[in-house]
Amino acid sequence: MTRLEALVPKRLAALPRRHLIAGVALLLLLLYPVINPWQPYPQGVMLLAFMLAIQASSWNIISGYAGYISLGHSMFLGLGSYTVAILAMRWGINPLWLVPLGGVTAVVVAVLIGSVVLRTRGHAFVIITIAMLLAAQILAVNFRGLTEGSDGITLELPFWSKDYQNIPFYYLFLVVLVLTVLFSAWIRRTKFGTGLVAIREDEGKAASIGVNTTRFKVVGYGASAFFIGIAGGIYAYYLTFLNPVGSFAILGSVVIVLSSLVGGKGTLYGPVVGAFIVQLVSEAATVYGGGSQTRVLIFGLALVAVVLFMPAGLLPTVETWWRKRHPVDVEYTDQAGALSAGALSEGPASSRERVETRDRALAEVAEAASDELTPGDVLLEVRGVSKRFGGLVAVDDASLTVRKGSITALIGPNGSGKTTLFNLVTGGMSADSGEIWFEGKRIDKLKPWQRGHLGLGRTFQVTRLFKDMTVQENVVAPLPDSHWRTMFADAVSGHEAARARELLDVVGLGRFAGERAGSLSYGQQKLVELAQVLMLEPKLILLDEPAGGVNPSLLGRLTEVIHELNDRGVSFLVVEHNIPLVLELCDPVVVFSRGRSIAEGPPATIREDPVVLDAYLGDDWRPKPAADSAARPDPGSSPTATETVKGVR
Amino acid sequence: MAQLIQALVLGVLIGGVYALMASGLALVFGVMRIINIAQGAFLIMVAMFTWWLWKHTGIDPILASVITTPLMFGFGWLVYKYLISRIRDQSPSMSVLLTFGFALVIEGVLNVVAGNKFKSATPSYFEESFRVGSISLPKTQVYGFLAAVLVLALLFVVLTRTWTGRAIRATSQNPSGAALVGVGAAGTAALAFALGTATTGVGGSILSVLYPFFPASHYDWISRLLGIVVLGGLGSLPGAMVGALVLGLAETLTATYGSLRWSTLVFYLVIMLVLLFRPQGLFGARLREDAV
Repeated sequence: MTRLEALVPKRLAALPRRHLIAGVALLLLLLYPVINPWQPYPQGVMLLAFMLAIQASSWNIISGYAGYISLGHSMFLGLGSYTVAILAMRWGINPLWLVPLGGVTAVVVAVLIGSVVLRTRGHAFVIITIAMLLAAQILAVNFRGLTEGSDGITLELPFWSKDYQNIPFYYLFLVVLVLTVLFSAWIRRTKFGTGLVAIREDEGKAASIGVNTTRFKVVGYGASAFFIGIAGGIYAYYLTFLNPVGSFAILGSVVIVLSSLVGGKGTLYGPVVGAFIVQLVSEAATVYGGGSQTRVLIFGLALVAVVLFMPAGLLPTVETWWRKRHPVDVEYTDQAGALSAGALSEGPASSRERVETRDRALAEVAEAASDELTPGDVLLEVRGVSKRFGGLVAVDDASLTVRKGSITALIGPNGSGKTTLFNLVTGGMSADSGEIWFEGKRIDKLKPWQRGHLGLGRTFQVTRLFKDMTVQENVVAPLPDSHWRTMFADAVSGHEAARARELLDVVGLGRFAGERAGSLSYGQQKLVELAQVLMLEPKLILLDEPAGGVNPSLLGRLTEVIHELNDRGVSFLVVEHNIPLVLELCDPVVVFSRGRSIAEGPPATIREDPVVLDAYLGDDWRPKPAADSAARPDPGSSPTATETVKGVR
Repeated sequence: MAQLIQALVLGVLIGGVYALMASGLALVFGVMRIINIAQGAFLIMVAMFTWWLWKHTGIDPILASVITTPLMFGFGWLVYKYLISRIRDQSPSMSVLLTFGFALVIEGVLNVVAGNKFKSATPSYFEESFRVGSISLPKTQVYGFLAAVLVLALLFVVLTRTWTGRAIRATSQNPSGAALVGVGAAGTAALAFALGTATTGVGGSILSVLYPFFPASHYDWISRLLGIVVLGGLGSLPGAMVGALVLGLAETLTATYGSLRWSTLVFYLVIMLVLLFRPQGLFGARLREDAV
């Protein structure tokens, strides 16, 4: 690499290696017809590889980033071809002028199908994509008036001289390919792209942080159709003939999927690399290996082999191998960074600046929480809500109030319905009966992301970070509102990324911004999840066992952050089994048992309430004779929160 | 009127055969959350084999399912053991790709072995019909329907009355709970997959008589069967039955009052309409794990 670096200017050298390689490859491809102009056959093979790369790269947006596999993507190629061919015939103009309309048709059809099928999670989508491809083929056969049926449509020959052969098409496809890759790269950089990956990793969690999963998936599907439709239009003119069976071929979809898989789905360049490999191998097989009859067999075997032996694809496999050969030192000493309350950010900034950064970040969060409500007003109200799972009544006619500015605790034995109540409030499940009101609005019929946009955030009992994303991407992912502008905001640099960094500094994990979230310790993941929720600009944060599995010193950091946020107006509802922590942190305390609240009041009252002692706290907490009340044993081995915080400082 | 009754009865007869073919798909999805795209290729493979048996030994194609069904059971078990089980830990979408690839392999092999031509088994009763009043029912359709219903009934008995069947159903509802009471998920999955594949033994034999086929026909079949399963609600056996009836009726009614070439499209239209109002399909329950 050193020799290469000597040749290129410094700014180029600063680019990641893969972009450099891509640039050099592009340069060679641009020069190829100039160097070797009178070779129509290799040019033809190359331009088909470009077309396949366009398709694979587009497919990657919905199936690689968002994880929703489409097996019918070649439909968009056919739609583009037919749109252009039919209109060129009717209007009598050159097909090339109509190519953009091919893209538009593809997007419109994708959005229509998507808005029916992508509203749910799961497998209906992949099934429908196959069905729609075949349906499109049948339509093209049957609508004779429009498509000439099985006879197909013949287009005018290209207007340029035969001497130029494939060169114009070569460059056309290459330009579209470059645009497709840039488009895909841009999407991956936006919050839209981060949201798509979030959907792939954990769709329920994505919805809880304000990602409108339906809209994201439908737009993603539409975006994945556009450039294929364009390529289809050009392809029709290149072939000058199209028919239903050729245009809507399932084998076309097979090579798209195979290309992305071979190269590495979900990566930027993987599908492109894969497309070149698949196209060249397929061409070789046709020429040397018994004609196109055996292609089905070869593609099938290749698909099975890739899934079984190299599911991640070529580029990620190479990258892993490279990382192993060239390990990068990562500082794993987290404690110092997370614990020193003043030293919140990395770098040479003075501690004063650091405190300012933190203050600004917290102020920005709190700004959203300030509104007409004054402290003490009802913020969240749960009225007579029930939820049953078969015969089990998890939440039974429960009512609960959280007041503005409070840190309300929700305690109770395991299985008393606390987490289910959280799910009902944030929209993960819908209640069988009852109403939920937030800031005077009824929310129990709203989608999870709509509740997130209103200012309702939650963390999970077992952390649900997007493990294959970096820590920073995790924190950037949440969307505080439903504006399209927010959706397409830059997630890698600019305001959103800066905020994410600040929030990571607040929880003391700024230095881990670039790490894979899955590589953090459990307690650190809890803190990242808190930062993630703060990005949502919440008014009320529901914490599900924030202290579970967190070591005492990190716990101190956590309670500190909760206090600071609360001082600035953010309210909390906390489910927690660490009773000393609850008694120290929260007021009021609500006690749940058998799916409903049995007591509510300030901590001092609750700890002495006989009903609560019977149902949950047990005899250890029963008041002893005055003499040894100071030496009251703590249940379990965890130190009290007070000690914890002291221990930190 | 007679025309309508004829169409309805024929629709039910065809629907019964579809129900059998889709039941294996629904069963496998219900237990393993795996969409077996190769199910259509299995059907065509069996149809080819049945055709070959009939051609060379003269054995009745529908009766040949007595031979093909146990063969397919074993085949399914092997496929599970050597292919599907290897990707159990990966995301479900990988199983879609794996079975899709496997379907292509089968198609490719059939292309090489049997050639790329339409085939159809035509036993002696092929062109005969039963007449009831003014309606006439092709014997092939009636025999196919009876065989399908018989096998579906057997499947139902196996699933509800035997320990194995209960284990399969338990695993489909709650894998970890089933494991706790001594039902091994891996063994049950293999059984369910083998059972689901075995249904193609009968289904493929019936297919060889009712429809002309060639290696690439499996795309049409799998998309029809998947359509049935989506319409009924993924993983629901009763849903698959109802979905199959809807497809059968949609086909015969469109063919009677419109034109045969629109029948498949009408069915896809019905699916989209149903999904518009019931995104989870007719019988699809929103499971607890579906909660977001």
